[in-house]
Amino acid sequence: MDRLTLVKRILGLAVLIVALGFPLIVTQPTMVNFAILILMAAQLGVAWNILGGYAGQVSLGHAVFYGIGAYTSSVLAAKFGLSPWLGMLAGGAIASGFALLIGWPCFRLKGHYFAMATLAIAAIVEVLVTNWDYVEGAIGIYLPMTNSGWAGMVFTRSKTPYFYIALGLLLLSLLVSRILQKSYIGYYFRAIKEDPDAARSLGINLARYKLVAIAASAFLTAMGGTLYAQKELFIDPGSVLAGSLSIKIALIAILGGVGTLFGPVVGALVLIAIEEFTRQIFGSTGMGTDMIIYGGIIVIIAMFSPGGIAGLLGEWERAWRARRKLVYTPPGDGI
Amino acid sequence: MKRLFRGLGLGALGCLLLASAGLMGAARAEDEIRIGAIYPLTGAAAGTGVELKAAAELAAAIVNKEIPLPGNLAAGAGMPNLKGAKIKLIFGDHQGNPQVGATEAERLITQEHVVALIGCYFSNVTATASQVAERYGVPFLNASSSSTPLTERGFKWFFRTSPHDDLFVANFYDFLKAVEQKKGVQLRKLALFNENTLWGGETTKIEVKLAEEQGFTVAEKILYPAKSTQMTSEVQRLKAADPQVLMQSSYLGDAILSMKTYKELGFAPPMVLANDAGFSDSEYLKTLGKDGNFVLSREVWALDLADRNPLIKQVNDLMKGRNGVNLNGNSARVFTGVAVLADAINRAGSTQPEAIRKALQETNIPADQIIMPWKGIKFDEKGQNSLGTGIIVQVQNEQYRTVWPFDIATADIVYPFPKWEGR
Repeated sequence: MDRLTLVKRILGLAVLIVALGFPLIVTQPTMVNFAILILMAAQLGVAWNILGGYAGQVSLGHAVFYGIGAYTSSVLAAKFGLSPWLGMLAGGAIASGFALLIGWPCFRLKGHYFAMATLAIAAIVEVLVTNWDYVEGAIGIYLPMTNSGWAGMVFTRSKTPYFYIALGLLLLSLLVSRILQKSYIGYYFRAIKEDPDAARSLGINLARYKLVAIAASAFLTAMGGTLYAQKELFIDPGSVLAGSLSIKIALIAILGGVGTLFGPVVGALVLIAIEEFTRQIFGSTGMGTDMIIYGGIIVIIAMFSPGGIAGLLGEWERAWRARRKLVYTPPGDGI
Repeated sequence: MKRLFRGLGLGALGCLLLASAGLMGAARAEDEIRIGAIYPLTGAAAGTGVELKAAAELAAAIVNKEIPLPGNLAAGAGMPNLKGAKIKLIFGDHQGNPQVGATEAERLITQEHVVALIGCYFSNVTATASQVAERYGVPFLNASSSSTPLTERGFKWFFRTSPHDDLFVANFYDFLKAVEQKKGVQLRKLALFNENTLWGGETTKIEVKLAEEQGFTVAEKILYPAKSTQMTSEVQRLKAADPQVLMQSSYLGDAILSMKTYKELGFAPPMVLANDAGFSDSEYLKTLGKDGNFVLSREVWALDLADRNPLIKQVNDLMKGRNGVNLNGNSARVFTGVAVLADAINRAGSTQPEAIRKALQETNIPADQIIMPWKGIKFDEKGQNSLGTGIIVQVQNEQYRTVWPFDIATADIVYPFPKWEGR
């Protein structure tokens, strides 16, 4: 272990400890809420990254899985009184099943065409749910504010439990990512991403491993959807199935750095910070200034660091190692 | 060199974040009553949001006696019970996003220490933002979201001054029957064309239910996404259904787009009966000009009501002087909402949330102190104003004229909706 790796590990541990203690130190509800928004966004980015980053299959329709998660747990809770914890798992399972169903035909499409197919599927699902009376269509589902507590995953007094659930989901998603990345499947993913034809010629079953990626990614995304429903206690197609949400999920990972473990976390931190601060400072003027600045910052990051923020940090690390005449680290490993 | 630029880029980003943190902690005066107002100030409905903001600010200025207002307007009383304290509106932008609405509500309550909230225009944003207010025990006054379930949630801190969708839709059928009788025509074949968020979706349900009950047939029913950028296929379906009445619920952008598409495709059913919102926004006529004519719209308010209520003219002149636009149904309701809050806070004589809530519950403002065509403002046990009613207006010569109820109408209804070619 060289010095830089050691520094990185210590830094990682410190970040984790700070995260765990955050709501104990910071009691201001808006700051806790801000942190929850970051964790939730980061979790979605990490989940997206399994498919879009490691396996290289860019999805612009991840809101579908998010929506399935939110709707499954909410319908089960509202109509059958089932605990959202079970609803979360059920939502994940249904999202995975749906992912396999759409993955099977869509993975026959290459490159941009897969992204376009996911975009279309997301739009279709949004319209279908909007007109589906059983799930209250456009009206959406109201979840009751009563029964505050861990069993019902509703917390009306403090937001701290939501913070820990969001943090738990993020750690779970990072763990799944890490396991996949380090296992043989991770190498298959990278082979598929870099050169599908070469991967196939080496005997990798492309369709099977792409399906593994989309199923895992969908499961985790759906879990995030359930958390959203339980936090806001109201869902409608506009809030959990919107096309803009799909784009945002992809943007988090891309801005942070695709195909890196912590890239989406950094991306979420930066994106949510920009979003919240620009809106709070400039939003109330009604001049649209916040959106201009928001867009401008994203353009700046994209221009100066096409590999995402993590890509930039990775480059600095390689430069540092090169100066110290250490071994070359391959690109894409990031932080 | 390249690295230098990168450093500069990241540095600029850092500076911005630091600057924003600094601004958020700005100092505030003690003797002001802070009220949070959450509206869509960016995004598709920003045009409406900015107008609502202006109306709320006008009401605040009147309460604060920055503008003298003759007459007996409820807001004109100011805050005598609070030693003439001034109200200060703190605005939040929800961008049409329910989660952002909830985030803004929490920020205004915990960080800006507002004593009450008003908002949010979009029904689905009102749903999440009012939940936050309920959690914190802060009064939430809703002036312009008409989704019926909002007052069916059993909330303790939620109040709505505007009538809700059930009542408005019932008004439609009363109106259609009245026109049938007056003009000797048949208006039984309907097409429903509504945007697909909470408001449009729910309106569709009530429209379908009441149509069946009252002997009307729904020949076509289309829910479209409010952010649509083209509507050609939808309008073709409507045209094929050939309805006697087109009933439409749209926000601003989609209302304008639909009218342009009707003209382009020559779609002119005998009656276009819109459901307020986009059709009563001042941008609507500004953009469409004479192409916006002859649409009928359910309204809560119309400028020509000033003929009967001098207060309306006075308030409208102030709005026009300050912001260059006339009041409309949305801004008049927000104006009234702020006035109702100010009235309650004054009667409470305190900024304690519980005292304000109690005062709101006891609100009893007579019809001649408001600028709405209502019988007054009085909340029932659900927090719904039980004295609200709707009217029907028609755009004639690029002006909104009240055409129903017939006894308060200022113009006769133009029927049928003229073909596009002959205009």
